[in-house]
Formats: sequence, C-alpha cells, structure tokens
Amino acid sequence: MIVQTALLIGLVLFSVLAILLRDLLKSAISLAAASLLLGIVFFRMNAPYAGVFEISVVAGLITVLFILTIALTKAGDEVRESRAVNWVFPLFFVAFIIIDALVMKGLLRKIPALASGAETGTFGDVLWKGRTFDLVGQIAVILAGVFAVLALFRKRDKHD
Amino acid sequence: MTNTWYFTLFFAAALVFAGILGLLLRRNLIKLFIAIEVVAKGISLLLLGTGFAKDNILVAQTLVVTFIVVEVSLVATALALIINIYRQTKSLDIRQLSRLKG
Repeated sequence: MIVQTALLIGLVLFSVLAILLRDLLKSAISLAAASLLLGIVFFRMNAPYAGVFEISVVAGLITVLFILTIALTKAGDEVRESRAVNWVFPLFFVAFIIIDALVMKGLLRKIPALASGAETGTFGDVLWKGRTFDLVGQIAVILAGVFAVLALFRKRDKHD
Repeated sequence: MTNTWYFTLFFAAALVFAGILGLLLRRNLIKLFIAIEVVAKGISLLLLGTGFAKDNILVAQTLVVTFIVVEVSLVATALALIINIYRQTKSLDIRQLSRLKG
C-alpha cells in the first residue's frame, strides 16, 4: 500500500512538473517518467498488458514523437507565458487536492461502477471475443491517424 | 479494497484537474498537448483502478489498451498539425491562431 501510494504521488508530481517546467524537453522527459510510474502502478494492479502498453507506447513512442516535434520547432520555443501561471497553478491545485480529499470518500458510495464478480478466461479471450467491436474501432482510429498524418505532410502539387 | 479505490480515484482526479489547469493557463501549443496527455493519464488510472477495485481487471485492461491506441493516433495527428502551424506562423503561441481567417 505504501509503495503504491508513493508511486501515485510520484506520478502526480512528475505530471505537475511536466506542466510547470519552462523547458519543453524537460517537460517531455518528465511526462515519460510519469508514464513509467503509471506503467509500474498497472503492473502492481495485476494488469501486465496495460502496463506493457503504457511503458512501451506512451513512455516510449509518444515521448519520441514529442521530442521530434520539439526539435523541429526549436526556434518557436520562446512563447511568452502569462506570469500568473507561477502562482495560480499551485494555488488552485492545492485547493483542489484539499477538496478532493474531503469529497472523494463520500462520492465513492454514490458512484455507480461495473458490478463486482469473478471474471473467467484470459485477457485474450476478453479482447478478441468480448470486445471485438473495440478492435474494429481501434483499426479505424489507427487508419484515420495514418491518413491524417499523410494528408498533413502531403507535398504540394506544382499547379497549387 | 475500497481504500485502494479511494486512493486511485483521488490521484486520478488530481491528474485530470492538473491537466485542465495546464490547458487553461498555458499558451505554448506543445505545452497544451502535454496537459492533454496528463488528463489522459488520469483517465487511464481511473479506468484501471475501478476495474481493479471491482474485480473486473480484464475488461478494464482492454479498455485501457483501446484508450492508449486512440491516444497514440491523437498524438500523431496533433503533433503533425502543430508542426504545420509552426511552419505557417513561425511560432508555437496559441494566440497567433486567433488571427486565422477563412
């Protein structure tokens, strides 16, 4: 329980750092560290497949994409941020944490969630048989992403 | 079990709120997208934490895997858009986009 809580605190800290840090590269690396911690939390919750996806795809691939974008837009780095961020963010965040701690316990009894009950089969059974339609959706989303990137980086025709 | 669920929901809500605050306060396009990623992390944690607490970890895992796939597509498309915006405006400032016409 203590390790789990420490991991979750680390996750929130790295995520907040990713938003607060001025340097984009440090932000991206902070986000990757947060993903890594989230992956470990998933492993500890007996969800190895989600953990592997989180670590390999989110901490790996998405970080690479972010760093690539930062490298390609290096000169546009200096965006003037409002000064209020430095004190508004911590103020509101701490206020929210206090409200969260007070309210969440009461909310737990009222939130409807999936019914408890032992599951049968393996992850593969649930993914391929139970949620087949999700897979169709995933394929559609990947294709949409590929076509969107292709369309965005299309070379202009000569007569344009 | 309820205690674990409480902690997970507590931290998931904190992540989502941090992301939303980032979206409201930041002006750099890449920073805004990092904030969206933080919100996405909160949602993943929420899904899996609830599945773990309610003994439905397999369904929760499939949902998280689907969510991660959607997230990757979103990131690829959005970062391509950001690079194109940068080529047009030579800046990553979100306020430059308010001058677009058509």
